[in-house]
Amino acid sequence: MFDKILVANRGEIAVRVVRACREMGIASVAVFSDVDRTSLHVQMADEAVPIGPAPAAESYLRMDRILEAARSTGAAAIHPGYGFLAENAAFARLCEAEGIVFIGPGSNALELVGDKVRARQAMVKAGIPIVPGLESVPLTMEEYAAAARGLGYPVIVKASAGGGGKGMRIVREAGELAAAVEAGRREAGSSFGDESVYLEKYIEEPRHVEFQVLADNHGRMVHLFERECSIQRRHQKLVEETPSPALDSALRERMGETAQNVMRAAGYANAGTVEFLLDKDRNFYFLEVNARLQVEHPVTELVTGVDLVRRQILIAAGEPLGLDQADLRQSGHAIECRIYAEDAAKGFLPSPGPILFLKEPRGPGVRLDSGVYAGWRVPIHYDPILAKLIVWAEDRDRACRRMAAALRDYVVLGIHTTIGFLGDVVCHPRFEAGCTDTGFIGRHFEGWQEARGDEETLRLALAAAACDEMDGGGAGEARVPGRSGDGPTPWKTLGGWRLGRRESDEI
Amino acid sequence: MKFEFVVDGARRTIALEKKGGLCIVQEGRAVFEAEIRRVSENEFLFLAPGRTAKVYLARDGERRLVSAGGRVFTLTEAGRDPDRFGGGEDGPSKADSSIKAPMPGKVIKVCVAEGERVRKNQSLVIVEAMKMENDLRAAAAGVVTKIHVRAGDIVDAAKTLLELEPET
Repeated sequence: MFDKILVANRGEIAVRVVRACREMGIASVAVFSDVDRTSLHVQMADEAVPIGPAPAAESYLRMDRILEAARSTGAAAIHPGYGFLAENAAFARLCEAEGIVFIGPGSNALELVGDKVRARQAMVKAGIPIVPGLESVPLTMEEYAAAARGLGYPVIVKASAGGGGKGMRIVREAGELAAAVEAGRREAGSSFGDESVYLEKYIEEPRHVEFQVLADNHGRMVHLFERECSIQRRHQKLVEETPSPALDSALRERMGETAQNVMRAAGYANAGTVEFLLDKDRNFYFLEVNARLQVEHPVTELVTGVDLVRRQILIAAGEPLGLDQADLRQSGHAIECRIYAEDAAKGFLPSPGPILFLKEPRGPGVRLDSGVYAGWRVPIHYDPILAKLIVWAEDRDRACRRMAAALRDYVVLGIHTTIGFLGDVVCHPRFEAGCTDTGFIGRHFEGWQEARGDEETLRLALAAAACDEMDGGGAGEARVPGRSGDGPTPWKTLGGWRLGRRESDEI
Repeated sequence: MKFEFVVDGARRTIALEKKGGLCIVQEGRAVFEAEIRRVSENEFLFLAPGRTAKVYLARDGERRLVSAGGRVFTLTEAGRDPDRFGGGEDGPSKADSSIKAPMPGKVIKVCVAEGERVRKNQSLVIVEAMKMENDLRAAAAGVVTKIHVRAGDIVDAAKTLLELEPET
């Protein structure tokens, strides 16, 4: 087993990996850019190494500096998390050449599945159903236009090297194509360091269903069932759950088998995810392989009881899988909500800035994978993900209610977050009914505004602000907790006030 | 003591009277009495018969952010700038011909030059934050009179990026 692992990432996922290392008795090394010096992952790791200025291209994407950090700290392996270098075959190859273990698939498999175009070609050969699309990256805008005509609009522009919605654009008519390709290239370039984009036929209102696979270096492979990730905005997932309300056991078995065939065709080892689109007629199409730990891995962990990060590390260390498909079960239901620093009422506008106050939810079946703390400033340079709130319950209805309660109990002051929006999503009757597809947010939440609180709740807020004003706005004198109240006092209520209601304004 | 705040664009007046350990809170005809304890810098306890509730508060410049009942209210003292995030992603309002940064971020591209005529809905500046591009477009046809930023600049929310003279 490794003595020391370098975590080549930041935020909640770096925290998650550091935790796994600690539990396994492995020392951890964090890397950080200038603006992340005070970040949570840096505080939690056993050692921390600076790797450059804030822009990712000058820090978290700098393979040379990360490898140097591994060498200088004596780390035997590198965990890349997700994003940044996680699916970069060149980086995996450099690690291999240095004798440092890259915790992920081998560079050859990574190269194959990381290149969406080549992966599609390989999958066609292996008899895997795929969405119609280009088999190569066009060179000129004329070629893009001809290809789009051939596929028939709508088409979707996708980053060849990418995932996570970066570089993606839906194009409904020929006039929009050039701008979409240009914007897709720019975003792909800044996210992945590779500007290539290609086109696929766009399937309307599909469900997004993916399968988690684990494979060791000795030819053993299992799948850990599906995750349904249909609730998305801008092609980025917001809510994920497992089991999917759309699958029955026969379809689950077929898709799981296909997912393993995909990974076999790619010669894949370690943890990976096979993404499918599931259309209204329950046809499924291979979309891509996510050759990394997924953001949404916790829902699988809660339902299967398998610690995916620990398994990744064990597999990378050469251990046999030690799991049989027949032993794996889905128990209960898990839902994850991604807490982004975004203003959902303004088209999910990024909302970086200081976290002035933070209260995180607790309770049975509630898990929070967070990368932030009160007093920390969310930088402008990286993904807006702050944390993931995950709940487990015996069934889907209970999981929905548990999530709604946990979101209500989650307070972040200082920046906008998706907490209020997600609360409305998980309470929406169509979500509760399991009727989710990738058009869900656009259809039900266009122009969403947070409901006004009821008058009595607002009155409490006003009273608190008035107290704060009387106190001199929190500046100056120190307050002693409990100072203003001295034991029980007989008193009466002249008017009522209530908390915790969702009804609309009463006036 | 009376306090005036603006919440969701509406002016609210609230009166607070301390009476012994208690507080009488009055807004219009609505009145309640409770013991209010500030248990930490950011936490207020409201103690009433059969019910205790916690309200969270943080100051952000001129604004107070208050969380009660699972919802965050933004309160501004009446008479002060109601919203420092003025502008919004929809570009300038008719009355305001300047294009402001909708969020803190980095200028990726300035798509126009000073003196250039622009069409309605034409891209003017692209600002990026958290890997998301925000394409700021002209709300109406006009002429670019002044550009305040260059590609690569880091800007704060509400920073004026360029000025536009609408065509009449």
